[in-house]
Amino acid sequence: MIAWLRNPWARPRALVVVTGAYILWSLLPVALAVMFAFNAGRSRTTWQGFSFRWFTSQVGVFHDPALQSALKHTLLLGVICVAVATPLGVTLALGLQRWRGRGAGTVNTMMLLPLVTPEIVMGVALLLLFLKVFPGLGLGTVPQAIGQVTFTLSYVVVIVRGRLVSIGKEYEEAAADLGAPPHDQILRVVLPLLAPAIVASAAVVFALSIDDFVVTQYLSGAPSTTTVPMLLYASARGAPTPALNAIATVTLVITLATLSLAFLVYRRFAGGGDAAVVAAMEM
Amino acid sequence: MSEHELQGEVRLEELTKRFGEVAAVDGIDLRMPPGEFFTMLGPSGCGKTTTLRMIAGFERPTSGRIVLDGVDVAQVPAHRRNVNTVFQSYALFPHLDVAGNVAFGLKYRRLSKDDTRKRVAQALELVQLGGFAQRKPGQLSGGQQQRVALARALVLTPRVLLLDEPLGALDARLRKGLQVELKALQAELGITFVFVTHDQEEALTMSDRVAVMNGGRVEQAGSPREVYEEPSTEFVADFLGVSNLLAGHASADGAGSCVLKVGERTFRAAQGATSSRGEVKAMIRPERIVVEQHDTPGDNRLPGLVERAVFLGSSFELHVRVVGGDVLKAFLPNDGTAMPAAEGAAVTLHLPPDALRVLAPSAGPSEVEPADPVASSG
Repeated sequence: MIAWLRNPWARPRALVVVTGAYILWSLLPVALAVMFAFNAGRSRTTWQGFSFRWFTSQVGVFHDPALQSALKHTLLLGVICVAVATPLGVTLALGLQRWRGRGAGTVNTMMLLPLVTPEIVMGVALLLLFLKVFPGLGLGTVPQAIGQVTFTLSYVVVIVRGRLVSIGKEYEEAAADLGAPPHDQILRVVLPLLAPAIVASAAVVFALSIDDFVVTQYLSGAPSTTTVPMLLYASARGAPTPALNAIATVTLVITLATLSLAFLVYRRFAGGGDAAVVAAMEM
Repeated sequence: MSEHELQGEVRLEELTKRFGEVAAVDGIDLRMPPGEFFTMLGPSGCGKTTTLRMIAGFERPTSGRIVLDGVDVAQVPAHRRNVNTVFQSYALFPHLDVAGNVAFGLKYRRLSKDDTRKRVAQALELVQLGGFAQRKPGQLSGGQQQRVALARALVLTPRVLLLDEPLGALDARLRKGLQVELKALQAELGITFVFVTHDQEEALTMSDRVAVMNGGRVEQAGSPREVYEEPSTEFVADFLGVSNLLAGHASADGAGSCVLKVGERTFRAAQGATSSRGEVKAMIRPERIVVEQHDTPGDNRLPGLVERAVFLGSSFELHVRVVGGDVLKAFLPNDGTAMPAAEGAAVTLHLPPDALRVLAPSAGPSEVEPADPVASSG
């Protein structure tokens, strides 16, 4: 065994073992949760046979109005968040890229703040903001969307800037050299080259949005503004049934599908491209 | 390229670019007449690329004028200047195919679709890439990409074409071929080429005129033969080709040339700044030194020992340590005559007066490195 692990000519086997163990450990709870979504009985711990009842029956995800509303609202927030945070983040990244001199460094650091601010702090702060400063807005969809955009924006900026740095200034200069005015340099050259990073960041924003609990919970209003994570959290302590596993499974599938699609698009256009974005997508 | 008239004169006047405290280009004056193949040559950091980027419009001059056919364009943005650039890394747009790349700039010329297609096809024919219109840049070799970059710039019939070390990324064989092609293309089109390189051989073989730059200034500008055979400064002598530098004391000989005292020996020097007096440097090219049998009598000769004999194929490069300690390099043609110069052999070097050139002190800023007396080619 020791000799097998230490064979210097093989792949680093000790690392393979550690990696394998970690992957198993991280997948196990997810696999269990998904498995019990297909349980025939009401138990979330004892296997009673395979069934689609928690998806398709009267109490299943596709019929339960509370679950359905939560799923719809989650997707709605996800779409709004992508639609607002992505273009805004790309614009910011382009602006920051061109901003040299005084203040640029400070702003750069500030852009990263939301990434390291504890979410609970941001949630409380945003709640106070909407209650005290903009009480007219009330709580619900609009504050939830604004809150999510606030913290997902940074991810877009980081991913897009990474790509901008690797693209460099030369393509823009070439476009200018060939007669393209500044807006055409962006539209005809920079944006097409950024496409993979934009798709990647949109996917990351979507995944973050449908996954978010803290900020979304703080800024929620009427029951119709409950999202899937909130519902999961609330009912986990009530009378949980495999329907919860089912809805968790649905969200998981949506998230994975989005990320895989984005990853494929990125690979297709960036030809394996820069590591930063791939890494960002894989988190 | 019918709308192209005999235009394309570039004049740089007192052109300066500072980055903070550093003057990358320090007040240069150059004139590039229409249709000339003009090369800016120098080591990295000499300001040649910054100068080119200012002509293209990518850098804004700190002061000075860039006069293109009589109009000062120093403050005109890049997209409104009728000059085009071939970039060192080509900067082909990876998301467009070859035809798309070449057609990129034609959009701003308000041509019909047919005309655009025709011009693209012509440009691709010109660089011999007729069948490659649908390829993506990533599917082309380095040499092909370079041609696309050329076609993309030439299709716009610029008055001036700027080339930033366009052959730098290619292997030696391909480079030689493209040097010839590029020169032929320039002669055929009659466009002013402003070429930047650090490769002295490239500069000498292709250019009508060469400006040797150092420390943000022009050391010397002239035809390739002038800058090679009549370098006016130590830097130019040193940077172009292999040269031997001798430090000595110059005095008058009353016959138009000057007498140079190097150590214990005196030489007559008939070239260069022969009116200089006092401490000067003189240079002689290795190919102008005549290697003779030991103890050959006569003026302008000095004895030495062959330290190294390097076989170069068509010639031998001899490193001869002469009396006084200097090492001089001399080329000995491999012409079948008996070689008097095995390592360790004693020889006499003849430095003919008309090959010995007295140099003016370097015109550049003071930090010119003390030149190795036998510095090799750049």
